[in-house]
Amino acid sequence: MKKLIVLVIALGFLSSCAVVKEYEKVNINDPDMALGDKTIKRFETSAQAYREAASGANGGKTGGGCGCN
Amino acid sequence: MAYSQDTIVSYKKRVLESVEIDLLASYYSQDGDNAAVTGGIGTEELTDLASSIVVSIPLNDDAILKIDANVSAYTSASSSNVSPFDSGQPADPFVADSGASANDLWLNGVVSYSHSSDDRNNIWGANVSVSQEYDYSSFGFGGNYSYLLNQKNTELSIRANVFLDSWKIIYPFELRAGQGAPNPEDYFDPSAGLETNKRNSYALGFGFSQIVSKKAQGSLSLDLVQQEGLLSTPFQRVFFKDRNAIIIGNGFQLADDIERLPATRFKIAIGGRLNYYINEMFVLRSYLRYYQDNWGITSYTASLEVPIKLGDYFTLYPSYRYYTQTKADYFYKANDALSTDAFYTSDYDLSSFNAGEFGFGVSYTDIFTKVKLLGYGLKSINAKASYYNRSSSLSYFMVSGGLTFVQD
Repeated sequence: MKKLIVLVIALGFLSSCAVVKEYEKVNINDPDMALGDKTIKRFETSAQAYREAASGANGGKTGGGCGCN
Repeated sequence: MAYSQDTIVSYKKRVLESVEIDLLASYYSQDGDNAAVTGGIGTEELTDLASSIVVSIPLNDDAILKIDANVSAYTSASSSNVSPFDSGQPADPFVADSGASANDLWLNGVVSYSHSSDDRNNIWGANVSVSQEYDYSSFGFGGNYSYLLNQKNTELSIRANVFLDSWKIIYPFELRAGQGAPNPEDYFDPSAGLETNKRNSYALGFGFSQIVSKKAQGSLSLDLVQQEGLLSTPFQRVFFKDRNAIIIGNGFQLADDIERLPATRFKIAIGGRLNYYINEMFVLRSYLRYYQDNWGITSYTASLEVPIKLGDYFTLYPSYRYYTQTKADYFYKANDALSTDAFYTSDYDLSSFNAGEFGFGVSYTDIFTKVKLLGYGLKSINAKASYYNRSSSLSYFMVSGGLTFVQD
């Protein structure tokens, strides 16, 4: 329950930010600012899914589709 | 381009300007002393060569079709010891055998489609996937929807995926009927208790991303996964504390049973990213994840990457990732499980451990695609090396590389 409260507070904090206009997004649009991983990182993410029990919430596999954990 | 009645021209930017092709490859090399196939004692030496081709095709101004094909060929010392007698040499858990199970090929294909609304605030997509290796096959499908609001400062998304997987069940050699049991009267049928060879996974994910300032943006994601069916690996051995060990060859212990795990598992993962643009040279990319499942595993992941731009073309990517997990309720070291336990495994991927991973990447990007090949311009070259070290003795090294081409 505590985790859920922290999550809700975090959501509220982030959504209360001032709006950044399109013409102000020069830095945000930098390719290295992307919230996803680069395509080349798929191999690393896959190895981690095989060698660790945890998966998901990282853009990679969440379970299924391989004989991994 | 659209023309309104008063001749004001408005433009709709294509979601993808032209065909893009990614060619990717990796080499992976692993070693350790706790192979699950040999009950938690034995070599984990494994090498893998993988390659991928990803083709993104703009179908029109609004839609993209993506075809993602993958091949992975691996050689595994521990898998070779599913049947350790093929080479004719004395069985040894720390030496690879030469049998058919030493190598395998994983083939995978994913086709996905995405469509954006005219204002680019609504994006929906669907995907279908298939994969095949010698003893495992999978069919998957799913869909996703994203909604952008707040002048595209905020994005909400939902995704769902189903994987319908199937095992070809292979047992350790000594547990195969009439083949390996040293004392035929001791033979038991390892299939007892295995009710299915299917493994179904149902995943539901939620995403929230937000531009925090002109220099910062972050995201939160939540994944919920329910798995059902055969969640154990049928050729992984377990040795019991309350049975006499039968050892042959060079210290090769014969299985008391195969790994047994519950037929259901529920996983929850919560991840957060925060990226900060420091200046023209440095960007900070951070990631945190909390994971828990109903097998008793809790884990935390933290990673940091600091892209360093060296002029207009080159960027360096030093990174570090830390991972820690508690053990599954059913994990036992070799010879620690009891034959009276309902579930047991000696797979160290389900043990308690910490791991650190150092990475270093470099990329070359040319937005003008001056280098041409068969009607395509080279947009970027990426390379990365990483070293992973786990407290349970396993470590791996991998290098990967990729080329991105765009159609002229």
